Amino acid sequence: MNENEIIAKAQKGDRAALSKLVKIYEQTVYNFAYKICRDKEKAEHTMQETFMSMVKSIDQFSGKSKLSTWLYTVVSNHCLMMARSNKKHAYTSLDDDDALIDPKSITDWEIAPDKLTENSELGGILDEAIKKLAPDYRVVFMLRDIQGFSTEETGEAIGLSVPAVKSRLHRARAFLRNELNNTFGYEKRS
Amino acid sequence: MKKDHKITCKDVMNHICDTLGEDLDSPTCTTIKSHLDNCESCQKYYKSISQTILVYKKYEWKISSDSHTKLLDFLGLDDCE
Repeated sequence: MNENEIIAKAQKGDRAALSKLVKIYEQTVYNFAYKICRDKEKAEHTMQETFMSMVKSIDQFSGKSKLSTWLYTVVSNHCLMMARSNKKHAYTSLDDDDALIDPKSITDWEIAPDKLTENSELGGILDEAIKKLAPDYRVVFMLRDIQGFSTEETGEAIGLSVPAVKSRLHRARAFLRNELNNTFGYEKRS
Repeated sequence: MKKDHKITCKDVMNHICDTLGEDLDSPTCTTIKSHLDNCESCQKYYKSISQTILVYKKYEWKISSDSHTKLLDFLGLDDCE
């Protein structure tokens, strides 16, 4: 049975089909939620709310976009709502473009991609870097760069204009790149 | 940092950020590509931004069996396992 057939069954109230859709997408949604929330309980809560939205609204799903695109939109907005309700955390300001791109910090980078999944130390470094980035920026970076949404799709998903998406993306990329520069950057010896 | 007639490295870096992964055939991006071909600093910056994206793409948080069970329970689908 392909995904469209499973969705059609779920739309007719087939609970086993709904359960199948949850199983297909739970890893994707959890991974996304964790990368935005940076907390297991919050990621679980966001994932639960996202799939509850799916269960309640699956009959309205038109199939014009992929179900995954629809889920990313829902999980993004749940993540942002949760972040906005918890304003205690202060994030690094990204208002100064000149500080974000410092020509003196430009070095060669070296990463062995096959080592990435085995390296828990690297996981900690990535985690610390993205934690400093405000969720409004994380979501744009995640949708656009990690999930491969277009600039327009990213804007539609979270209610931002195209220039606002580009501005946030540019700052998020530059910020994360700067944070990782000490780990991956090195000066070539001549 | 070297400076072109029309465009600086800083301009290029900003536009790289805007356009990475998108269509680079517009006149502005053609100028940027040309600059990129000849500027070592911008090449390094482009590579480091690309690699930043790559490391975050590769890094994945796995859902635990406990989270999976709690999810199905929350949705009232625990009997569909």
